[in-house]
Amino acid sequence: MMSDILPLAVIGRRVEVSGECATVRFCGGVPPVAGLWLGVEWDNPERGKHDGSHEGTVYFKCRHPTGGSFVRPNKVNFGVDFVTALKKRYALEEEADEDGKACSLKVGCKQVQTVGFEHITKKQSQLRALKDISLSKCAVSCAGEKGGIAEACPNIRVVDLSKNLLSSWDEVILIADELRDLETLSLSENKLQFPLDSLTPPGTFSTLKILVLDKTGITWAEVLHCASGWPVLEELYLRSNSISISERPTDVLQMVRLLDLSSNPSIAENQLYLIAYLPRLEQLILSDVGLSSMHFPDAKTGCKTSMFPSLQYLIVNDNRISDWSFINELDKLQSLQALSCSRNPLTEGDKAETTRQIIIAKISQLKTLNRCQILPEERYGAELDYRKTFGNEWKAAGGHQDPDKNRPSAEFLAAHPRYQLLCRKYGAPEDEELEVPQPFMLKNQLLTLKIKYSNQLEQKELEKQLPDSMTVQKVKGLLSRLLKVPVSELLLSYESPKMPGREIELENDLQSLQFYSVENGDCLLVRW
Amino acid sequence: MLQCLSIHIGQAGVQIGDASWELYCLEHGIQPDGFILDRQQEQLENGEMEPRNASFDTFFHETRTGKYVPRALFMDLEPTVIDRIRVGKYHSLFHPEQLVNGKEDASNNYARGHYSVGSEIIELVLERIQKLAEQCNELQGFLVFRSFGGGTGSGFTSLLMEQLSAEYCRKTKLEFSVYPSPRISTAVVEPYNAVLTTHSTIEHSDCTFMVDNEALYNICHRKLGIECPTYASINRLTAQVLSCLTASLRFEGPLNVGLIEFQTNLVPYPRVHFPITTLAPIISADKAYHEHLSVPDITAACFEFSNQLVRCDPRLGKYMACCLLYRGDVVPKDVNVAIASMKSRTSVQFVDWCPTGFKVGINHQPPMVMPGGDLAPVQRAVCMLSNTTAIVEAWARLDHKFDLMFAKKAFLHWYITEGMEQGEFTEAREDLAALEKDYEEVG
Repeated sequence: MMSDILPLAVIGRRVEVSGECATVRFCGGVPPVAGLWLGVEWDNPERGKHDGSHEGTVYFKCRHPTGGSFVRPNKVNFGVDFVTALKKRYALEEEADEDGKACSLKVGCKQVQTVGFEHITKKQSQLRALKDISLSKCAVSCAGEKGGIAEACPNIRVVDLSKNLLSSWDEVILIADELRDLETLSLSENKLQFPLDSLTPPGTFSTLKILVLDKTGITWAEVLHCASGWPVLEELYLRSNSISISERPTDVLQMVRLLDLSSNPSIAENQLYLIAYLPRLEQLILSDVGLSSMHFPDAKTGCKTSMFPSLQYLIVNDNRISDWSFINELDKLQSLQALSCSRNPLTEGDKAETTRQIIIAKISQLKTLNRCQILPEERYGAELDYRKTFGNEWKAAGGHQDPDKNRPSAEFLAAHPRYQLLCRKYGAPEDEELEVPQPFMLKNQLLTLKIKYSNQLEQKELEKQLPDSMTVQKVKGLLSRLLKVPVSELLLSYESPKMPGREIELENDLQSLQFYSVENGDCLLVRW
Repeated sequence: MLQCLSIHIGQAGVQIGDASWELYCLEHGIQPDGFILDRQQEQLENGEMEPRNASFDTFFHETRTGKYVPRALFMDLEPTVIDRIRVGKYHSLFHPEQLVNGKEDASNNYARGHYSVGSEIIELVLERIQKLAEQCNELQGFLVFRSFGGGTGSGFTSLLMEQLSAEYCRKTKLEFSVYPSPRISTAVVEPYNAVLTTHSTIEHSDCTFMVDNEALYNICHRKLGIECPTYASINRLTAQVLSCLTASLRFEGPLNVGLIEFQTNLVPYPRVHFPITTLAPIISADKAYHEHLSVPDITAACFEFSNQLVRCDPRLGKYMACCLLYRGDVVPKDVNVAIASMKSRTSVQFVDWCPTGFKVGINHQPPMVMPGGDLAPVQRAVCMLSNTTAIVEAWARLDHKFDLMFAKKAFLHWYITEGMEQGEFTEAREDLAALEKDYEEVG
C-alpha cells in the first residue's frame, strides 16, 4: 500500500522500503523542501544518511549517526492485513494459468515441467481448511477488519508470521483473538512494541502452546507482563533479544517445558536463579550467552539442589565454560538426563574423548551427552578411568585405601565431588594401578648392580649399571674384559636382598638379566 | 489404486526399513499394534478427516479387523537383525510371515548370498512375496532396500531381482541402496560385492537411488550436532528421505503421476539409472524454530554439497535430470520464485541433449519427525533426486579398489569355494568399466 494517503497513527509503524525494514519516527514537513516527508529509522544502522537531524534541526532521534533517512510516503510500503497476505499466498489470483497442468517455467534454456500444481492450488484456495500456514516475509502489518480472519481461516493451528511488519503486541492480540485453535505462533524478527496497558482478552491464546519471539526486541519484563495471557504455554523461544532476566515469574509461565534464551549476551549466572523454580521446566537452552559458570549454593557437595527441579536437558553450547567446577555443579541437579556442551573452551582441543569420559563420570545420572546416548559400558569405563586418573592426586590430598585413614582435603573433594562415591562403588584404587608407567628410556631400563668376585682372596666389589635386556653372554664378555679372565671360564649367579641366602645361577648365556628376574640393587656373583 | 511392495534385504535393508515404517506409522497415525488412533478413526468415519489418509492403501493393507499391515517383506540370511524387529516396538505391526530369516549368514560374501546360502531360501522368499502380491489389487512395483557391500545385500538381492524380473516382468523395480563409503568401510571385500552386484542387478533394476554412510555421518555430526552418530541416527535420517520420496504415493495428491513417472523422467538410458539423493532442510532439534526457511532457501540448499546423501561433487559433472519433491507448506508461486533464482546459477550445468531439465512435484502433507529424535520439526521440506554424470567418480573409486585387490587375487578364494568362477569377476569388472564409459558418453 504505497500512496499519499497515510494511515492514522503512522509514528511507530513498521514499514518496508525497497526491501529494507524501518520504523517511522517522524511525519511532517522538512523545510525548505516542499511536501510531506516521513522520517524513518532503519533496522540496518548504516543504511541511512543522518541521525534524524537536518541542517541543524532535530526532527527525530536515531540510535546511530547514519540510522535515519527522510523518504516520501509514496515510496513506503505500510504492509497489508493478514487476510490479504493469506489470500495472496494461498490462492493464485491473476497468475492462474488457463492450461492447468503444464506451467511454463524456464530454467536457463530448459523447460520445467510441473506436476500437481493445479490440484494444490485448488486445495489451498479452500482457505478455511488451512491449519498450518506460513506468512513469513509477506509484509503483514495488521489484523485487518474485525472478524475477517475468523471468517477466512478459523481453523489455523500453526502460523509463521516471522519477518513481517507488525509493530505492536496489540496487533498480535487482534490476530490471535480470531484464531481460536492457535497452538503455534512465530513472530520472529518483528520489532514489536509492548504497550504497558496491553490487555489480553480472556480466551485469546487459550490454546497457545509454542511461541517464538526471536529477535523481536522483547524485554523480560514484557514477557512476564504478556505471559498472563498464555495459560498453557509449553515452549517459549526468546533468542537474540538482549534479554536480562530481571524478575522471577510468579504466576506465569508455570506450564512452560522448554525455554530458549540463546544468544542473549546480557544473561548472567545470577539471573538464572530467578527462573530456577519454574515447576515444569524440562529443557533449558542457554547457547551462546557467554556463560562461564553455574552454581547451586543451596546444596553442599554431593547433595541435590532444589533449583530447576524438572530440568532434564540442558544445552550450553558455544559458551565460555572453561572450568570443571561447572560440570561438578550439574551433578547437583535432580532430574538432569541430557547435556549438550560443545564448543566451550573446556571441551575444545585434542582431548575430546577424554573430556567426554570425565563429564560422564562427574555427572552420575547423565544418559545422553552431546546427543549421543551413554551406554552402561561407556559409563562403567568412564568411571573406572576417572578413579584411576585422579588416584595419585587423591592420595597426595590425603586419600587412603584404609577407610580410617582416608581423609582427602576439602579442596580435593570440591574438585572431585564424586570421587569418594566411585571408590565405594569400585573399591579404592590400588597402588599398582596408580603407578605411572615409566616412559621407555634406556636409563629407566638400567639396573644398578653390585658385582662381587668371590673366587679370590680379595673380595672385590664393583657397582655397574646394566640394561635388563643384556644377555648373560654379554655380561660375561664385559666382565671378561674387566677381570682379564676368558669368557668360557666365567660362572655367574646372583643374589638378591629380597631373598637372603639364596643364590640363583645364570646358566643360559642366551637369556637376559630380565629373564632371571634380576632387579635393581641385586648382586652378581662371579666365579672362575 | 496402485500398490507398492517394499522388500528389505540384509542388515542395512532391514534396519532402514525399521526406521522408515516407524515414521510412516507416525505420519498415518497408525499405532504400533497396527490400528489407527481412535480420534482419527472417528474422523475418518465421520468424513471430517481430510481424504489424504485414505490413499495409504498403496503401502498398507487393511485387514478385516481394521488393522493396517505394511506391504513389506523383511529378510536376512541370519536371525539377529530380524529378531530385533520381532521383539521391538513394532513387532505386532507385521505378520510373522513377513519376517524371513535363514540360519547361516552370508559372511560379507556375495557368493554365499547369491549361490550357496541364498539359493536355499529364495523359494521361500518368492513364495512370501507372491502372497503379498496377491493382497494387492494392482501391484505397481517393488521397492528394494539393501546395501552394496554386505553379503546378503549384494548377493541375495541380485538373485532375487533376477527372479522377480522373470515372475513379475512388467512391474517396476526401484532400489534404494547403501553405497560403500569412500573413506569408511565396514568390510574389506566391499568393492568385490559392490561390483558383482551392480553387474548382476543393473538390467533388472529400473532406478537405483543411492545413499552412502559417510555423507550421512557427516550430516549427523555437523548439522545435527551428534558427537558420535550411530546407525540409529543415520537410519532415521534415511527414513526422512524415503518419506519424502514416497509421500506422493501415500497421501492423496497427484497420485498416478507419482514416483513411477519421476523415475521415467530421471533415467535417460536403461543403464544410467543411479540418481543421488539430497534432503533439505536438515536442522538439529536443538535449533527448532530458529530458522524460517522459505522454499527458495531449501531449494538452494539442495544444490549444496553438504546436504547430499552421497559423497560426490556434482560440480564436476553435468545434470541429466533433476526431480524436486516438495512437501508441506509449499505454494506453486514459491516454487516458481525458487526455480527462477536457481536459473542464474552457473554451477547447475545440464547436458545439452536433455530438453526437460527439472521435474517438480508438491505434496501438501507436512514432514513429521520422530518425537525425541535429532531433527527439528519443519513446515516444509524437499527431496531432490538428481541424475548427474558426476557419480562416475563414485564408480571409478569403487573400480579402483576392486582392481587393487583383484590384481593380487586377494580374498578371491572365499568366493571360489562357494562356487563362483574368476571369470565372473572379470565380466563384472568389464561391465562396470562399460558403465563408466556410458556416463562419459552421455556427459
